[in-house]
Amino acid sequence: MRKLSAFMSTLALSSMVLTSGGCTTVVIDEYRRSTGELAVGDSVVILGRRHSSEYETEPDLINCVGDTLHNPESGVNVIPEQQFVDALYPWFEPRKAPMHIKSLSKLMDIPDVRNRMEQYGVKYIVWIDGSTETTSSAGSIGCSIGTAGAGCFGFGTWDKESDYEASVWDFRDQELSGKISADAQGTSYMPAIVVPIPLIARVQNNACKGMAAQLKEFLLPPQSASR
Amino acid sequence: MSIWRNGFKSLRKLGSLTAIALLTACAHTVSVDGEFPTPVGNQHPLTVGVYLSDDFRKFTYSENRDDRDEWNINTGRAQKNLFETVLGSMFRETISVAQYPSNLPQGLDLVIVPEVRELQFTMPRETRVNIFEVWIKYDMHAYNQRGDSVAEWVITAYGKTPTAFLKSQEAALAQAINVALRDAGATLYTGFDRVPELQAFIANKQRALTMKTANDAD
Repeated sequence: MRKLSAFMSTLALSSMVLTSGGCTTVVIDEYRRSTGELAVGDSVVILGRRHSSEYETEPDLINCVGDTLHNPESGVNVIPEQQFVDALYPWFEPRKAPMHIKSLSKLMDIPDVRNRMEQYGVKYIVWIDGSTETTSSAGSIGCSIGTAGAGCFGFGTWDKESDYEASVWDFRDQELSGKISADAQGTSYMPAIVVPIPLIARVQNNACKGMAAQLKEFLLPPQSASR
Repeated sequence: MSIWRNGFKSLRKLGSLTAIALLTACAHTVSVDGEFPTPVGNQHPLTVGVYLSDDFRKFTYSENRDDRDEWNINTGRAQKNLFETVLGSMFRETISVAQYPSNLPQGLDLVIVPEVRELQFTMPRETRVNIFEVWIKYDMHAYNQRGDSVAEWVITAYGKTPTAFLKSQEAALAQAINVALRDAGATLYTGFDRVPELQAFIANKQRALTMKTANDAD
């Protein structure tokens, strides 16, 4: 009984530690060419760049930015990435998507494509390019099982880095409105004393939250963004 | 005695099950079953027959090399769906042709016949990049009503998907294949009128239609 209560308290401690997590630093930079003009009925599309063969902008990062930013009450209506890409198939597929605003203007010469974009009320297209990678790791954890029970001992640590750049295109004015970059770094730790206790740095998630907050300020007109 | 007999039977069963498990341990089967969106854009003013052979509809890529596990990848149904959806929206009228070259319906401008030339894939541990990659190459043939070749071109498609936590190799590869098939559809749709022979064919058809409209108006 005592063993069980000790195990339960270790488990409770682990879950408490889990929620605290490792440390992350996020640096957001912004380059702005025009003020936000998102009006009632306008929509924003957030798309990931996936043309590189070496990395892929993670779909969950794009969903996270979209979900965080989507708030119709404050005037930000985000169209889910997959829904938009399917509705405009094949023009926004990884190898066919416009890389520059000029290519987008050319695409708008196709009446059906232009109509569909207008039906969606697209004002801004936000292209996010980048990825999160594990840059280094150290330590080791060993687990064993025996007649007396099972347990793990050791210590592991790893660093993660996120590097994303968001280009904001104004679809109606056919111009680049600006760029936002998010660099995040964090170290996660995993000490194991009988039970492994992960202290996870949520690097990608913090980059997402930082970028979404900055995008909100960027897209909304100055008086609405402060709401 | 019957205890011994039952014991032997159970052991034999266990042995054959273990043997089967060992034999199939390194064999992977992937069945891709994708649905694809209808393309949005201009239609070509042609009536086209589409012939998807049985080999194409049931295409399975099998690989059994010494340096790799055994893989059986069935893309037949997914590529049938893709070509039917994309070709079905590219032309003024598309007719599915059950037989080729005999018994073709009348009034076809072209008959399009796709074939799989090649399928390749790489796993993350082979490239040391955290992505599954797939390449598919299609040979495309366009014939006129009489069966003469009008154009032949190649479509290359590429798809990738990052390794995902708790996702099986089979599921990740199927996702990469679906991305590659979408890419094939995109190339087919956007590249059709860039094939010189087809560009000329469409221009001729367009000219004939314009003249017919002018004559009808007179």
